[in-house]
Amino acid sequence: MTRAASPKLVAYAGLAAFGLLAALAARLPELVVLAAPFAIVAAAGQLHVRRPQLRARVELERDRVLEGEEIVVTVTVDSAVGAERVELLLELPPELETPAGENPRAVRLPDDTRRELTFPISCSRWGGFGVGRLFVRTHDLFGLFVHEDVLDERVPLKVFPRDEAIRNLLRPLETQVYSGNHVAAQRGEGIEFADLRPFVPGDRVRHVNWRASARRRQLWVNEFHPERNADLVVFVDAFAEARRGERSTLDREVRAAASIVARYLGQRDRVGFVSFGGFLNWLLPSSGTRQLYRIVDAMLDTQIVLSYAWKEVDVIPPRTLPPQALVVALTPLLDDRSTGALLDLRGRGFDLVVVEISPLPFLPPPRGPAEELGLRLLRLRREAVRGRFERAGVPVAVWGDETSLAEALEEVSAYRRHARVVRA
Amino acid sequence: MAGVVAYGAVDSSRLSEVVWGVGAAGLALGVVGLVRPWPSVVAAGIAVVGAAYAVALGIGPRTVDEWAPLVAAGLFLAAELGFWSMEPSAARPEPAVVVRRLLFLIAAAFCVGLVGTVLLYIASGASGGIGLESLGVAAAVAALSIVALLARRARESGSAPG
Repeated sequence: MTRAASPKLVAYAGLAAFGLLAALAARLPELVVLAAPFAIVAAAGQLHVRRPQLRARVELERDRVLEGEEIVVTVTVDSAVGAERVELLLELPPELETPAGENPRAVRLPDDTRRELTFPISCSRWGGFGVGRLFVRTHDLFGLFVHEDVLDERVPLKVFPRDEAIRNLLRPLETQVYSGNHVAAQRGEGIEFADLRPFVPGDRVRHVNWRASARRRQLWVNEFHPERNADLVVFVDAFAEARRGERSTLDREVRAAASIVARYLGQRDRVGFVSFGGFLNWLLPSSGTRQLYRIVDAMLDTQIVLSYAWKEVDVIPPRTLPPQALVVALTPLLDDRSTGALLDLRGRGFDLVVVEISPLPFLPPPRGPAEELGLRLLRLRREAVRGRFERAGVPVAVWGDETSLAEALEEVSAYRRHARVVRA
Repeated sequence: MAGVVAYGAVDSSRLSEVVWGVGAAGLALGVVGLVRPWPSVVAAGIAVVGAAYAVALGIGPRTVDEWAPLVAAGLFLAAELGFWSMEPSAARPEPAVVVRRLLFLIAAAFCVGLVGTVLLYIASGASGGIGLESLGVAAAVAALSIVALLARRARESGSAPG
């Protein structure tokens, strides 16, 4: 704890000295009366000064919240040696906000007392935070000395990204062997009708299509598509972002990734995660609620780290990208490294879908013809990148201010249905 | 502070313009110090206003001004409120903190008046009889007791000044 004299102490000592000297010089006893209170306060303040002894404990109402929710942080302060006025500032990152006037707070803490202070906090952005670093400043009765200290009682708080509405999920081209919710291309035991074929010994009688058999005068049976699970890998491009104020393309990427992951895991698919950027972060595909929390925790650590290193898909561990997995890439298409890596994935035969998080809404409006021209060039360049993906057979859906994520995914589904018809 | 200047100027029978001038300079310093905020300039403003009062006393009749304790209380209150307003704090205080501080200010101003009266009587050498003498002794004993109490609390807390 550090102690500092306030300017008031120097001022009062100076006023007292000036008044007493003037009283002596002018032989005016009234000036002694004027100077006396300043002298007394300065002397009494020196005698009364004490070093406060404070301890704090920080508790969160919940340690996991959704973006946009509010929680209450309770700070319990114990004072072995108190102070007349204690100012408490709870350090918060910019993503966590308190209502105006709630932080910092000034309270009185007599000796041997315990006070509980509550700070309502609004979690405006997803992320992992440490809450509970307190800056303490105490004032004595006369306001002559200030003691300052930092009490570090941080506890972790995880703010999960809020869900984006998704109506229909993308159907993977290939399914896995376990039962799930996707209609497989193969034929087998299932509900979805696939085709008719002549009866062979061993076929179950319940599969006989009596109407077709009567028409052809021999036994025909129904064939079905089985319902299988799928492998999905969410690929988040963390090389670069476009940011404007509180909003950024990375925020949208993480929100979309969280929503997609939660929906696929909810229908028993195996989901993996790759954050491809300055830092590489990955999780092997797995299923279940635990995997959802693992992925969301990994997403909370996702951030843009400036890097000039050229990275290719080789740096991703092979087991992270199982064969026949659907790879959903969320990217602002701002960095050539991620574009190259995605085209490389497609070249290796992965079922790839690109959801482009458009950076254009985050750009300031152009001022002047030069900036207009620059914006046009940027748009043309982005069109060219999209063209490269489309030539490789990769659907690219744009998620911007005018469209929702659900619409973008519908656009991809339509493209993939169309592509299948042409291929057939 | 303006009240102190006005009192000094009105009270002085001659050269009241000098008192007004010095007092106005002190007030201007005080205002500038509060607006900027510069604590040392505020202190200088208080000192100059006190000087204006001293000028008024110096050019006036050579009798003890019985209103000096009130002037001292006024200047002390102005200084306390001025430094309070300049405290660099964005913290929202509890109502109890504000109330206690205001009560402390009122009590302090009252004590300033009381101590000033005692000091003035001592300085004037006048004898007010056995009652007033007893009051003076009691005030001195009370002041010493308060100082001793504060010193003991400071020692108990294990944080002697320095």
